[in-house]
Formats: sequence, structure tokens, C-alpha cells
Amino acid sequence: MINLAQRDIAHSLGKFIVTALGVGMLIGVVLIMIGVYRGMVHDAMIVPNDIAADLWVVQKDTLGPFAENSRLHEDLKYSLKGFLGVDEVHPITFQSLQILQAKKPIRVFALGYDVFSGYAPYTLNVGRSIRIPHKEIIVDTKTGFKLGDSIPLGRETYTVVGMTHKAVSSGGDPMVYLDLHEAQELQFLFSNEQLRNDRFRGGNSVSTATVNTIVLTLKEGFDPKKVAREIQRWKHQSVYTQQEQSDILTKNLIERSAKQIGMFTVILLIVSSVIISLIIYTMTIGKMKEIAILKLIGAPNIIITKMIGQQSVLLGILAFIGGNIFANVSANFFPKTVILIPTDALKLFLVIIIVSILASLSGIRTALRVDPSSAIGG
Amino acid sequence: MKKPIISMQSISKTYGTGDSAVTAIKEATFEIYSGETVALLGPSGSGKTTLITMIGCITEPSMGKLSLNGEVVYDQKWLIHDERKLRRENIGFIFQAHNLIPFLNVLENVTLVSQMNGVSTKDSNAKARELLDYLGVKDKENKMPSQLSGGQSQRVAIARSLANNPKIILADEPTAALDGERALSVMQLLRKLAHEQKVAIVVVTHDERMLPLFDRILRVEDGMIREVQSN
Repeated sequence: MINLAQRDIAHSLGKFIVTALGVGMLIGVVLIMIGVYRGMVHDAMIVPNDIAADLWVVQKDTLGPFAENSRLHEDLKYSLKGFLGVDEVHPITFQSLQILQAKKPIRVFALGYDVFSGYAPYTLNVGRSIRIPHKEIIVDTKTGFKLGDSIPLGRETYTVVGMTHKAVSSGGDPMVYLDLHEAQELQFLFSNEQLRNDRFRGGNSVSTATVNTIVLTLKEGFDPKKVAREIQRWKHQSVYTQQEQSDILTKNLIERSAKQIGMFTVILLIVSSVIISLIIYTMTIGKMKEIAILKLIGAPNIIITKMIGQQSVLLGILAFIGGNIFANVSANFFPKTVILIPTDALKLFLVIIIVSILASLSGIRTALRVDPSSAIGG
Repeated sequence: MKKPIISMQSISKTYGTGDSAVTAIKEATFEIYSGETVALLGPSGSGKTTLITMIGCITEPSMGKLSLNGEVVYDQKWLIHDERKLRRENIGFIFQAHNLIPFLNVLENVTLVSQMNGVSTKDSNAKARELLDYLGVKDKENKMPSQLSGGQSQRVAIARSLANNPKIILADEPTAALDGERALSVMQLLRKLAHEQKVAIVVVTHDERMLPLFDRILRVEDGMIREVQSN
């Protein structure tokens, strides 16, 4: 049996392809939106995964250090070390900074850690770790700096000695790593003028020996939840396991953004289905006479339904392929991470097929109402 | 005794109800036989198209009795379940403006109906080529309708109408879009087909010049068949 849908498409192939590519761009945007969400989740977990702690000790009743501000005395690390099961104790600071790169301001997320502890909360791509706690910095390649570059920060100028690749904060800002005490001074040290004013007022300036979190690794065989309960009981701080910290990041920190993206994706899908529906409807309206002739010469409804349905599904498939190409090509140009995974594409493909079938219904309904006598002149 | 292929008995068609009711056909009664060419002649709005669409089981009559090929298809109500099946198995259509499917080539336009009837592609193609050869357009089988002249298109339309070996061909002003010479040629061809293949051909026409080519002429005026003229 002649495939009417295929013949009709072949007859106006250029128009059909251009239409499919137009819809494909919309589908591509849907894929990118899903990819942006995946990228957000991925980015949010880079730093916690690099830190690879069993427990996160933060200021009492806060969701620190990422979702809420948290401040702890650095010397808490000594008493934490004394808890049964605790193996390593690492005080860490986090801070957003704006620095100049090639005269352009860029935002970075700075992590301060004790460089003498042998602990490295990052994965080096090139260069080396910080060897001396003075004027050395590790930056991510995304900052645009190179090994040996100088970066003015606060009162000092730092030299890039090592580089990570694609290490970003949950907000997508590239990471920089520096010595804990230098990071503390950057974050907590008041200016000379304020120190002088504080002295005149008779007050004491706050110590810089403050951190945002202290991360712990446990000895083998110890249950993180039990150790966390002990620390909460004795030190009156909030303690989270690595899983709880992941949940805070993914559920609390990016939940609203994820919902926003989800809403946007749903709206785009609705718009895509309305557009496919309108296109199929218009294509059907353009074939009213041919449909009337088909009915007049005896074509059963199934042949007409198949013709419209197949065109709609083929439009969806072509648009999906076009959208996939568009998404994969353009994903690299986005400033934040966009992760396109095949399972998302497959799910979207199924949605597009369903949408295409639903979209063809209005066209089919119109076609089945065509009066065959309209093919005969009066 | 010769059996009619089309039999209409007191067929009427009324559109609308109450005060707005318009009777398009009033108690039409006639019979048409195999191999006969019949012209439906009449001014615009006289009811010719209604009559032809009722014979083609497209428009439902309001009353009367209609038989096609010996089978009663309407007797105060439709007695058939699938009128499209009846059309594609028994009736061929020829239109004023050839009305070929623009996205199918000549061969596909001709084979479509027989393929819908379940004939294999091979057999329907063979039959279509035979018809195209008979009508003198075999060399156009791979052309699209837009690449054909008016006369060629109408010949292809005639081939399509014959592809399902119909017993009845209903033609709606098949020569209206053709010049005098081509119109005459198409009408002569239809007459030849009717006589050679024993097909009943009913043609709606305005063109009085073609009337000598018909076996019978039914004049339709104000919904009534007023005159029956035989050549």
C-alpha cells in the first residue's frame, strides 16, 4: 500500500524539514534546560565530593556551610580530634570573591585549608599543591589564569602554582584554593582603619581564627551517625553526614532553581505540543481537498488517520533529532555546566512521541469531518 | 430481461427543516444500464450535483429507494454499513478539475484505489500501466500531476476511475476545464469505455455540444427530471 504520509512529505520536503528544525530548536531548549539542572546538581556536588568527609561540623542550628552561613572557632578541631572514632580533622573556610582576570572582574569561590595537613580537597590537573602557606594559590582552569600568573587578593599578591579542571561551586563559580590562615585573614581580618577605631572605642577586634566548617574523617568501622550524635551532645554544634550534606545541597540549595527549571521545561513542552498541533492542523487544512478526494474515492478513515498521524510522529522524530543536535552543539557555549545524558533524551523522546500523537488528534478530527462531496463541483 | 445498474425510485432530497427546508431533488425516478452513457443536463442549482452524490452514496436521500448493481442501498434509510467500501469497489469518479492527488505520481494516483481494495502492488501497477497505455499517457507514469497538461491530467483521472474495474463512473463536468477539441476527445473516450467495458457512465455537463455523444439525456430543472431524451 502506498504510504501517503511519506509521499506528501517527499512532495514538500524542504518545508517539512524547516518546520521540523523550528520545532527542534524548542525541543533543544527543553533538553538544555534539563541539562542545566543536571549541571547544577553536578556542580553542587563537586566541592563536597572533593572534600570527601564523613562528617561536617557546622555552627549550631544552621545548614552550613553552603546553604547557610556557619562560623566556628578553629580550635574546636582539637576537641573534635579527641572523639572516639575520629581519624582526621580539617578546618575549612569558604568565601565568594571577585577578582580581576585580564582586567575583567570574575567571581570565584575560595576554599581555605590547612596546607600542612597533607589534605588536598581538590583534584589537581596541572602544577603542584601549595607547599608554603604564603602567597601561593591553586585556581581552576575556568578562571582563565595560567600557571605562574599573579593574582592580587586582599593585601597580598598570589602566584598560581596548581590548577584544577572544572572545579566549581554550587553557584557555578570557579574554585580557588589557598592556605587556611591566609583565607581566614581575607575573610575575617578587619581593615587597619577599623582595627584602629575599635581600639579607640575600647573594644577588642575579633580573632581571625574562625572557620566555616570542620570536616572529619572517621576510622574504619565507626558509624558516622553515632559519632555525629556524640559531637552534637557534647560540643553543641550541628553535625551532618556526607549524605545529609548532599541532601542539603541538592534539596535545599538548588531545589527552588530545580523547580524553576522544571516549570520552564513543562511550559516549553506545552508550547512545543501546541506548536506541533498547530503545524499538523495547518498541514491538514492545506490538504482538505485531497482528503475529500480520498474519501470520495473510498479511502477508509484509517488511511487518512494514518497519513496525518505518521506525519505528526515523523515531525516529532525529526524535531527531536534536530533538537538533540542543537542542544549538544550549543551546550558547550553555556557559561555554566550543561550535562546532557542519554536517559533524559530517551525520556524526552517518548514524551515528544506522545505529544506528537496527541497533537495530530485535532488534525485527524478535522480531516474526518471533511465532506467528500466537497471534492465535486456544484 | 436487462437489469439496471442504477435504479432510482421516487428519490427526494430535502435540506433543512420547517420553513427553511429546501427540496433539491423531487421524486426522481429513472434507471441506467451497463454500457450506457447518460448526461445530467441542467442549470446551476438545479440539483445535478445532489443527484450524482446520492448515486455515489455520498449524500443520503430523504426518501425513496436507490439500488446499485442490483443491491438496494437505500430504502427510506441507508441499508449499507460502509458506503466508502461500496464506492471504491463499484464506482469510479471523474472530476471537473481532474483532482489528482498532487503528492502522488501518475502511476500511484491510478493504483491507489485498487491498492485500497487489497490488490497487490504488482497487479495494481500492471493494471494501471495497461490503462495508461489505453488512454495514451503511459509515458507519463512517473510524472507528478503538476507536470501534466489539462488533457493529460484528465486522461490520468479517467484511468484512475477505471482502476477498480467499476460498474459505474460518475463524472462531474469532466470537460469543463478543456478546450473544445480536447473536450470532444475526452467525451469520445468515455463513450468508447462505456461501450467496450460495459460501464454505466453518468456525466454532469453544461455543454450542449457534447449531447450527441450520450445515449440518454436527463434534464434536471428545479430538482425535477423534466425531460428524458434518447439519441
